[in-house]
Amino acid sequence: MGDPVIQFRGVTKSYRKGGQELVVLDHLDMDIEAGEFLALMGPSGSGKSTILNLVGGLDLPDAGDVIVGGVSVPALGGDELSTWRARHIGYVFQAFNLLPVLTALENVELPLLLTPLKKAARREQARYALEIVGLADRLDHRPKQLSGGQEQRVAIARAIAMDPTILLCDEPTGDLDRDSADQVLDLLGRLSAEYGKTVVMVTHDQKAGEDARRVIHLDKGVIAPVDA
Amino acid sequence: MNLERLVRRQALSHPVRALLTVGAVAVAMFLLCFLRSIVTSLDAAVKESSGRRIITASAVSLFQALPASYSAAIAEVDGVATVSRFTWFGGVYKDPENFFAQFGTDPQLLLDQYPEIELPAEHKQAWFDDKRGAIVGIGIAEKYGWSVGDTVPLLGTIFPRAGGEPWEFTVRGVYRSTRANVDEMTMYFHWTLLDEALESGESMGPRGTSVYLIRLDDGWEGEEVAQAIDDYYAGGPQRTRTQPEAAFQADFVNMMGNLPTFLGMIGAAVLVAILFGVVNTMTIAARERLRSMGILKAMGFSDRVPIRLYLMESTMLVLIGGGLGIGLAWLTQPGLRAMFGTFIPVYQVAGETYLAATVACVGIGLLAGLIPALRAARLRPVEALRRGA
Ligand SMILES: Nc1ncnc2c1ncn2[C@@H]1O[C@H](COP(=O)(O)OP(=O)(O)OP(=O)(O)O)[C@@H](O)[C@H]1O
Ligand SMILES: [Mg+2]
Repeated sequence: MGDPVIQFRGVTKSYRKGGQELVVLDHLDMDIEAGEFLALMGPSGSGKSTILNLVGGLDLPDAGDVIVGGVSVPALGGDELSTWRARHIGYVFQAFNLLPVLTALENVELPLLLTPLKKAARREQARYALEIVGLADRLDHRPKQLSGGQEQRVAIARAIAMDPTILLCDEPTGDLDRDSADQVLDLLGRLSAEYGKTVVMVTHDQKAGEDARRVIHLDKGVIAPVDA
Repeated sequence: MNLERLVRRQALSHPVRALLTVGAVAVAMFLLCFLRSIVTSLDAAVKESSGRRIITASAVSLFQALPASYSAAIAEVDGVATVSRFTWFGGVYKDPENFFAQFGTDPQLLLDQYPEIELPAEHKQAWFDDKRGAIVGIGIAEKYGWSVGDTVPLLGTIFPRAGGEPWEFTVRGVYRSTRANVDEMTMYFHWTLLDEALESGESMGPRGTSVYLIRLDDGWEGEEVAQAIDDYYAGGPQRTRTQPEAAFQADFVNMMGNLPTFLGMIGAAVLVAILFGVVNTMTIAARERLRSMGILKAMGFSDRVPIRLYLMESTMLVLIGGGLGIGLAWLTQPGLRAMFGTFIPVYQVAGETYLAATVACVGIGLLAGLIPALRAARLRPVEALRRGA
């Protein structure tokens, strides 16, 4: 196995809910290798989304460290964190990933505004990303004019437009029918296998778990690793 | 694609809401320019007034006529160059709604004392020569469609004719004004026509003159001459009150009570109301965009981006609305000038009013955008994504 690109070291995260302390992650240790296609599974409320948020620095751990690509994410602050996230992380959520007022192409172009690329180069790169996800013929469609599966693929195109090392997908097929879900899973698998992306995918879908190369089962902040 | 386009798309994502906001700002800004212009136009009339003219009226009231005999005595006072008589006629043209000022005066003296009144030479002569002739400002000529040679019937109210029929004046000239202190909504006719009609019993009404207008000799100050006139008549038969033209105009403004303060208060209220309106629009918009902002942050946009987006959107809406309102204020100047007539000599939107309105727009835009902007910036991305789902 290669180097772990994501390392959780004694990560603890709890939320205060109605005066009660709810421990979501309890001294969690976890390694994710570069280029892995990993499925995070577990019952609702087990802290799967929390893990993704910690990896991308959208949320902070109460204790412990999250090291991504050798960088301690919680130690990054403000603009440094934003810039790092733009460069290394691509997010795909369960639904409503896209800005409704922009077309597919514009949505994919959006993160490229953070690069020094010129307008034409941005367009080209966004178009290429949409080609990879098989939507070269839907450039000017608004999210409302796309099917759920197409919307998710546009979201994936946007997540890879910046060519990040890590894709974090939170139930990317949760809202999709079987066929669309399979297409999305196939695409994520390809991104990992062919493009060497590290894909961390939260899912409830048994089939999705089978597609991934490794599954981590999470329960009450504890990991039960099972090799797929 | 750029952030400006995103702002435009988001602003127009609810076209009706955008339109209503822009419309409300437009109406408010027009109103603001309009109210401010009433004040500045009145001020301009006072400021532009000549320091070389003073006005003698009755010390009792502006509505109390002075004896006609005073003109000879006033002419004798040191420092007085010329004295002309002005009598408020108060006639009605067809309908009492059609209000405009008419004065019986001394034609040659009037034009001599008021270089601001611009009248073609042939009109001047024609007016001097016709005892029933009158000159009218371009404002009323256009309003009522009069041209030179037309006969204008005026029903006397202060000076009713014995038979009850209207007075008839022939338009001999149409004048323009070169300064804000002289309006273009007044009719001037021969004072002597009125006086002779009163003398012969053809008309009823008070004899005399409403005010005397005095042009000063060079080297004389208004105050000393005014004092000399008032001192002369201190013992009667009727006491006088003589003031510089500017003070007289200012008095007239003061007669309307504390109008400028009052209008200022309305203006401030309008400003606050429109600020609330735009804040409301932006708050609703921001609530809908919570998720979009979370997505932007998850993509790696910094906290400053939501701030920029909201500030740009609200200033854009306000500037479009404000631009329309200010444009409307500019376009309606001639119409409002005609509507105000003598009430406001020359209604005009001043340059500083345009500037102030623009500054107010930018201020409201920034302020209204700032509230949701700061909230969006402070919001943690997880919260934005969770709450916006
Ligand atoms: N901001 C928050 N404030 C309070 N509680 C929170 C917050 N975020 C998450 N939680 C709680 O933490 C627990 C873990 O949340 P998380 O979203 O990670 O679960 P999950 O495994 O993704 O669940 P699901 O499968 O339903 O998405 C849940 O009980 C949730 O209610
Ligand atoms: Mg979740």
